[in-house]
Amino acid sequence: MAPTLPSGDQASDQDNWDNGRLAHKRQLLTEIVLRNRLTALVVGGDTTCRVLEQLLLRSYGVQTQGVDNGRDAIALIASGVKFNLIIIDMILSVLNGLEATRQIRDMGVHCKMLGVTACSGESERQAFLAAGVDVFIEKPLDPEHLVPILRELDGQ
Amino acid sequence: MERNPIRRQLAIMRQSLFDQGHVDEQFVQLEELQDDANPNFVEEVVTLYYRDSARIILNIEQALERKPFDFGKLDAYMHQFKGSSSSIGAKKVKAESTLFRECCKSGNGEGCMRSFQQLKKEYATLRKKFGAYFQLARQAGPVETASRPK
Repeated sequence: MAPTLPSGDQASDQDNWDNGRLAHKRQLLTEIVLRNRLTALVVGGDTTCRVLEQLLLRSYGVQTQGVDNGRDAIALIASGVKFNLIIIDMILSVLNGLEATRQIRDMGVHCKMLGVTACSGESERQAFLAAGVDVFIEKPLDPEHLVPILRELDGQ
Repeated sequence: MERNPIRRQLAIMRQSLFDQGHVDEQFVQLEELQDDANPNFVEEVVTLYYRDSARIILNIEQALERKPFDFGKLDAYMHQFKGSSSSIGAKKVKAESTLFRECCKSGNGEGCMRSFQQLKKEYATLRKKFGAYFQLARQAGPVETASRPK
């Protein structure tokens, strides 16, 4: 269903500002076409989040794989599969996101890593960055954060 | 302005989800991902959310039956639940999740219990509203949407 906005007769200044922000966001959504084939690994313990993150990436043409725990992420990378981008959740089963990130970096993986978590407390941010992610964001992953990263990876 | 009465009703129902604070902009993000290839995507994701989050709710309920409370475990469960809820734009549910976590961090057991009861109410209310919304959406049928170049 196409998103609808308040009618012009009833829109307040706040509505207009909100609509402008939404329009800008949608512009960000549509104004990227990847020139290169990019690949991404989504490491997320929560199925809903992981599915959405993968679908968002795929909507931009990024080929994605998903795993639901840190151990499987390590195993996949150790098998030789290369990714341009790894999106990793802090809360994971078997091997948590911080430890998985450290191990991935210790394996010599230098690709862009984006840490995601439901809470953007400063201590969590610092811990994730110290573990080796390049960018830290609070869930949900949205185009405003993702598109600039994809542009950078695509060399735009 | 929708001429079709079902579509008009659907639009009103949708707007009320935002106006009543049940969903936020992230819900629009879900709608943006829905296209002709995935015409029921939003409903499928919301269904997935309620299926998966039911397990977390049960884990929290069981943890709240054990005394003394393991606030670390409760916080971890709610951390996951909050992330999941925020991914579908469940605004009030997400807000209650935040309150619950604050109670965990301050070791406030009573606060956790109260917050969890309120959270379950919001969770159930939203489920009901989504149920009615998607039922009407199915009656209305798919809409042609512009899709992002792939």
